[in-house]
Amino acid sequence: MSAVISDPDRLQQLDMLRSSALAFTVKESPLSRARALRAKPPGFDLRFWNALASQGWTGLLVPESAGGYGQGFAEMAEVTTALAGQVAPEPVTPVLVFAGRVLQACARNETAQRLLAELAQGRALPAVAWQEDTSGAAGFDAVGGLAEPATVCARQGQSLTLRGGKRHVRPGAAATGYVVSASSTEGLVLVWVPAQSTGLTKTSERLADGTYAARLAFDSIELPASHLLAAGASAETALAGAYDEALVFTGVELLAVSRRMLAMTLEYLRTRKQFGKLIGSFQSLQHRAVDMLIQQELSDAVVAQAIAELDRGCGGDERALLAARVKSRCSEAALMIGRESVQLHGAIGVTDDCDLGLYLQRALVLSAWLGNARMQRGRFASMCRQLAPTTEATA
Amino acid sequence: MSTDWNALDTETFRAQVRDFFEREYPQELRYPKRRLRWAEIRDWTLKLADHGWLAPSWPTRYGGMGLAPEKLIAFIEEQERHGVARAPDMGISMVGPLLIQHGSDAQRVQYLPRILSCENIWCQGYSEPNSGSDLASLRTEAVEDGDDFIVNGQKTWTTLAQDATHIFLLVRTDKTAKKQEGISFLLADMKTPGITVRPIRNIAGHEDFCEVFLENVRVPRSQRVGELNKGWTIAKALLSFERIFLGSPKQSQYALARVREAAELLGLFDDAVFTDRYTQLALDVADLGTLYTRFVEQVKRGETLGPDVSMLKIFATETYSRLANLLVDVAGSSGGTPGDIDLDGNHIDVLTTFYNARPATIYGGSNEIQRNILATNVLQLAG
Repeated sequence: MSAVISDPDRLQQLDMLRSSALAFTVKESPLSRARALRAKPPGFDLRFWNALASQGWTGLLVPESAGGYGQGFAEMAEVTTALAGQVAPEPVTPVLVFAGRVLQACARNETAQRLLAELAQGRALPAVAWQEDTSGAAGFDAVGGLAEPATVCARQGQSLTLRGGKRHVRPGAAATGYVVSASSTEGLVLVWVPAQSTGLTKTSERLADGTYAARLAFDSIELPASHLLAAGASAETALAGAYDEALVFTGVELLAVSRRMLAMTLEYLRTRKQFGKLIGSFQSLQHRAVDMLIQQELSDAVVAQAIAELDRGCGGDERALLAARVKSRCSEAALMIGRESVQLHGAIGVTDDCDLGLYLQRALVLSAWLGNARMQRGRFASMCRQLAPTTEATA
Repeated sequence: MSTDWNALDTETFRAQVRDFFEREYPQELRYPKRRLRWAEIRDWTLKLADHGWLAPSWPTRYGGMGLAPEKLIAFIEEQERHGVARAPDMGISMVGPLLIQHGSDAQRVQYLPRILSCENIWCQGYSEPNSGSDLASLRTEAVEDGDDFIVNGQKTWTTLAQDATHIFLLVRTDKTAKKQEGISFLLADMKTPGITVRPIRNIAGHEDFCEVFLENVRVPRSQRVGELNKGWTIAKALLSFERIFLGSPKQSQYALARVREAAELLGLFDDAVFTDRYTQLALDVADLGTLYTRFVEQVKRGETLGPDVSMLKIFATETYSRLANLLVDVAGSSGGTPGDIDLDGNHIDVLTTFYNARPATIYGGSNEIQRNILATNVLQLAG
């Protein structure tokens, strides 16, 4: 990412973090590791997760008061970029950003506080469960916000009862529990459902990149009232904020994936010969490569802006619009760069042996997750219509 | 009147510029649909000149505002924001900087004050009928004869040559050298015998550019800028950071607003397919703005722009072109009607945007040339 940050000390620290994160991931997470973990539940390596915890990366975004390092989004983005660049299958954005940030927003609740501390240590792997339908379209309301869930939570005295189901939950296996969104008489609630809860049925579905997403069914799960993490406006704020941040970090991952696909393709264009010439000397291929570059750099520009804005504390509609832009751009760009990369590689590009495929499959998963480009466009349009009529031009 | 504009903070400076434009710029000339002729923009240009604001980028010792990059960007952004038309500015943007860097004292004394007073209006004699993208292949020839060069050849796509008093020319002075190494840079008075101007009518019906014929035109040797056969080098060195303005999002933002206006009048936002197409472009415009800001920040930090800035020109003009397509599409059966279309009493012009979008992807180095530059110099692909 190109830096929007101007403080020289922080830039220097970010440079150092970038180098050490790259050195670590290249050494400890070669592509052979990602390749070997595919389609073998849970689809990632819990020991490697512990190694991330030893690096301090699981606690990077967690405040020091909860046992973390209280670093910014820019720092988290460096780590996320390094891991995504190696197609590491560990659920960094789902657990550390999406779930971690929901829990942090609910930290007045003791359960959330405890979970956040365990997450920082690498011991808890919470997942957020909020979508309910196959395409995910029902997850959004008419004005581009997060829709009221069909899952219902009823409170009786000191006990909660949860009924309903969720889809597209990442990580789809090995999560230690779920932050579930539900409707209640208090409005939206966020409820902690431990993975071993009675009445919880989990079905893992394999995704294109060999990781998993879960489908959850809640058959009148009984939970203590202490598992009610947030209710009403505070639950909405917590989920919406973490959702936007997860969109931006999915964009960070997609950008890293795009960069690697374009780099691999350029390397191929610079070495592969046909008709006695380097194929990279052919103008039609050069121009296609340039169009890939432009999409990569647009992604880079919006991601860098979004990370800087998140660090600045941007919120509300401004954050939501920016996050939708990031997810839309980075999803489209990664899929375009992935398809073009395969074409420019020729037949070798469609073989499982070619590492390009690892990235393309990851791009498919990430671009679909949390609402694809089309849905983000729809949300962006709805949000703009709600706001001032000139929003598009200035957003 | 020599104000140190750079001593002001940028927002104060910007506010002063904005205030001046709002107060002084003629309302009817805001966001013109075509390149304005000198007669139309003359009064405003003279007002700018009187105010000392005609040459924002020139050093103060030559009568410019001496603006640092950040201030210059603010100045140009305010111009764009208010829809201030571009005056014939080749003297300001090209000849002035060229003479300041490479001209003789006599040339500076002769020309700089007359550019600032608008006595001299310059046009650019670069392209030729057979030398467009491959400009260095140009064939207009200058042969030394006593104290003069005798120039023969033809220039074309010369913007507003019919309004110019002077022309700067790239001419071939050595036919045996490698093509870039036999070119010199000459300045000529348009009244010199042998110069004929023929305006070219474009598809929008305007005469924005001309052909310039040069037949045994005598140009004094004193009018050569820089060394003999070094014209290509100095012309290339003129590519300053102002190139980023070719990638400004303003034109696209303006076109997007026109699409929205028309679509609202026609109730097209009830159509999900249209809304998705529109939103796709709205996001392109927003992201173009972010990419543009990234390059602007680079300039503000005092860094030189690399060849990667070409991507900005490509994406800006192609986004603009897609918007023009959508605007014609929105007009439906009226999409073939030039000028204002009456939509329930509201007037929308769709074809002007369409016509304007055509040269945008061609001038300033066609987008195909920009892609070649990016492929070779940024992606390091074989040339």
